[in-house]
Amino acid sequence: MSNNILSVNSLTKSFGGLEAVNVENFQINSNEITSLIGPNGAGKTTFFDLITRFQDADSGSIFFKNKNVSKTNSYMLARLGMVRTFQLTRVFDRMTVYENMQFAGSSIKNEGFLNSLFNKTSLRKDEGNLIEKIDDTLKMLNLYEMRNAYARELSGGQKKLLELGRSLMKDPEILLLDEPLAGVNPKLADNILEIITNLNAKGINILMVEHNINAVMKISDRVVVMAEGKIISDGKPDFVRSDKKVIEAYLGSSDE
Amino acid sequence: MIEQLGNGLLLGVIIALGSVALSLLYGVTRIVNFAHGEIIALGAVMTLFFSSSPDSSLLFFDRYSPIGINFFGSIVISIILCGIFGASLEIFLFRPLRKNNFGNIAVLVVTIGLSIFLRHIYLLFASAKPSSFILELQRREDYFGIQLTPRNVQVLVLGFIVMILVGLFLTYTKTGKAMRAVRDSSDLASVTGINSDYIILVTWIFSSMLAGFTGIIQGVINNVRWNMGFLILLLIFAGTVLGGIGTSFGAMFGGFVIGVLVQLSVGLEFMDGHTEAKNALALGLMILILLIRPQGIFGTKDRIS
Amino acid sequence: MNKYITASLLLLGCIAYIFLSNDTGSARVFVNLITFAGVYGLAAIGINVHFGWTGLLNFGHAAFMGIGAYTTVLLIPHSLGREGVIISTGLPLPIAIIFGLIASALLGLLLGLPTLRLRGDYLAIVTIAAAEIFRLLVRDFENLTGGVYGIIQFSDSLQVYRPNFVDVISTKYDVSSAQLWVAILTWISIVLVIIILSRLQKSPWGRALRAVREDEDAVRALGKNAVWLKLQSFMLGAAIGGLSGIFLVFNYGTVQASTFVPVLTFYIWAALILGGVGSLGGPALGAIIFWVIIAGTDSISRLLFESPDGQQLAGVRFVIVGLLIMLFMIFRPSGILGKKEELLLDVK
Repeated sequence: MSNNILSVNSLTKSFGGLEAVNVENFQINSNEITSLIGPNGAGKTTFFDLITRFQDADSGSIFFKNKNVSKTNSYMLARLGMVRTFQLTRVFDRMTVYENMQFAGSSIKNEGFLNSLFNKTSLRKDEGNLIEKIDDTLKMLNLYEMRNAYARELSGGQKKLLELGRSLMKDPEILLLDEPLAGVNPKLADNILEIITNLNAKGINILMVEHNINAVMKISDRVVVMAEGKIISDGKPDFVRSDKKVIEAYLGSSDE
Repeated sequence: MIEQLGNGLLLGVIIALGSVALSLLYGVTRIVNFAHGEIIALGAVMTLFFSSSPDSSLLFFDRYSPIGINFFGSIVISIILCGIFGASLEIFLFRPLRKNNFGNIAVLVVTIGLSIFLRHIYLLFASAKPSSFILELQRREDYFGIQLTPRNVQVLVLGFIVMILVGLFLTYTKTGKAMRAVRDSSDLASVTGINSDYIILVTWIFSSMLAGFTGIIQGVINNVRWNMGFLILLLIFAGTVLGGIGTSFGAMFGGFVIGVLVQLSVGLEFMDGHTEAKNALALGLMILILLIRPQGIFGTKDRIS
Repeated sequence: MNKYITASLLLLGCIAYIFLSNDTGSARVFVNLITFAGVYGLAAIGINVHFGWTGLLNFGHAAFMGIGAYTTVLLIPHSLGREGVIISTGLPLPIAIIFGLIASALLGLLLGLPTLRLRGDYLAIVTIAAAEIFRLLVRDFENLTGGVYGIIQFSDSLQVYRPNFVDVISTKYDVSSAQLWVAILTWISIVLVIIILSRLQKSPWGRALRAVREDEDAVRALGKNAVWLKLQSFMLGAAIGGLSGIFLVFNYGTVQASTFVPVLTFYIWAALILGGVGSLGGPALGAIIFWVIIAGTDSISRLLFESPDGQQLAGVRFVIVGLLIMLFMIFRPSGILGKKEELLLDVK
């Protein structure tokens, strides 16, 4: 069948008569970094929420790996391999960096009540196996030194990294990043961009919402522009950069 | 069943008024106020205190002999006192908590403590026995097949008038509109220059006065008890959930329906000999609603999760 | 460490208070208090699993305690209070207790299913309503529950297991051997439950609950079913509540409609908040201090009223309970043993 991993048809969502999202057709092709940009209030985060099933769409359908997931629970989608992060970083403040990673990585089976109660050998083995993966991921994200700190002690940028690291513990096939660079200092931002590019090189599809246009143009294979809930432009960074409709949307053109 | 309709209408009005007061406060402050019932009881207990004749030690200890003033005067004073009480709760308790970033859950537990505290203060000051306002006894008459006393009819009409006034207040006055704006989005309201501290204070006063009024009509229709607020609060919750939490008109409607249903259920055949269970039926209905339509009849989905 | 010293001193002070304020029969008072403290402590541990571990507001604990107790008692030999109908056959007690615990957990499932998907305050409303429904049904369905007349003559099922040393001690100190046996079993249960819970707390399951308590959306984004985790926690806490309810009725030797009234829940909340939300041993400690305070409030009543009647005693008690809940929640929400770092005050 088609080589797109994610495909969306006629997805709509309104809030009290105000149309927040109305996307006719949208696909993510395999192994690309796709960026979603647009002015504030364009419906990007709502669109994210709809795709990841954190909000119910009014109408439309979502296909993930050619499977209709329009009614699937958000957590089931994450298990299938679609993992997201949040615009306002959501780490577990009262848990350590390590525990954050452990929670993300541990299996549903081991989190079962009885398995946990009787602390089976298989459980101890599984948890032991996680250590190496957690350490590797933390090292890649330069968080290894902080592994025993409470997550609330991290800086804003480090929290973004931890959230990313947590998502990676799920071995995602597609990663949806909601403003991965927001509130991050420029040096760390470059670092995060590099990590994202590397992840993509390893075969993870990336869809991200980001306001930093320079960063978006630098690393994206494809840029999608939303305004007033609709997709108004879609193509290679160079194409979008010179698209008249995009410039109008950003300048808030009102010459009609 | 029809003979219960009169009682049903009366209970419906009580719960509708109580629900709209609770729901308004919830909408503006996000506080699920478990002490709401105690404010309702305060209205009734105060009125009893002011209106009972001074030589009756029926209700209060000798040390707190009733004042014995005119009944309507007592009502007015009591409602004003309820408003002042609500304002003090906001100024001395809930505003400081809000400024110290107490989360909704912590505040909810505080209102539970407050409710237990107040209720038993009433128990200490009043007797555990139910007591009535000094009003002449009236016989039930037939109104279109519904059995009610003339006073009950007056209370019903008054209740409906107050509900309409509340509706008009919320829809047309500047303060009412501001309350609804804060309810729908406090961020938006602060951007548009509405002083939310002021609106929250006004809401506390308004909700408490309405609650006090609810208690008084409950006292006129039935009687005054120290724990009348707690018993009615659960039905008010049921009404609010049925109508949709945070919606004023929904709460009014839901409360009314719950009140009528509770009384009508007394007439059902399988309820024969189980009169106590009528409240259980209403509360069971509430749980059922949460299962099938958690946002209630008029609520929207984004308010509930 | 400081707080453990405070806790031990408080505990010693409490015990000293009991013995100093009762010239005669202080051992009897002590056993009575320690039994109730054990029952309430166990119940508070159940609420702690809900509130402290998972952030769930359960204000209907009396219903979970009650359904566990009634199920157990109805399954063992008993007689109904009013007509004195004797039912002399029944299950062995341990099996009946297991059914009781299952019944409590199932009630938790029933109440949790509609509400745990929703915002937290719905659970508070539904549980408080459930406790009221439970009370009304127990009163109304007299032919099953004995209503206000209750169920009697079921204690033997527990007392037959009473070892000899309990009788020896109780004769020596002039205390009720039946009550002492219940007290011992209750506190053994507390220790066992704490051991199990501490094991769970460190396990992946406990870790997942902490994550749920902090941020359900993040939990869902990581592929975990937050609602199911909450439901499990709710059922576990309900079952612990059921166990405490069973001990409560064996302590009384009877159970009637007035045993599991909704206000019971608030006593237990007060004990929990005193001891420390979120800590393992806090609820049990809180329950001991709570009962000493309650004993103290009765002396306050005697100061306020010349000869306080039951209503005034109860009034003063609950005024104090309400104040304790409010003041501790506002000024020392971590209680005596709770961890400040794990406080949830800012949770919306």
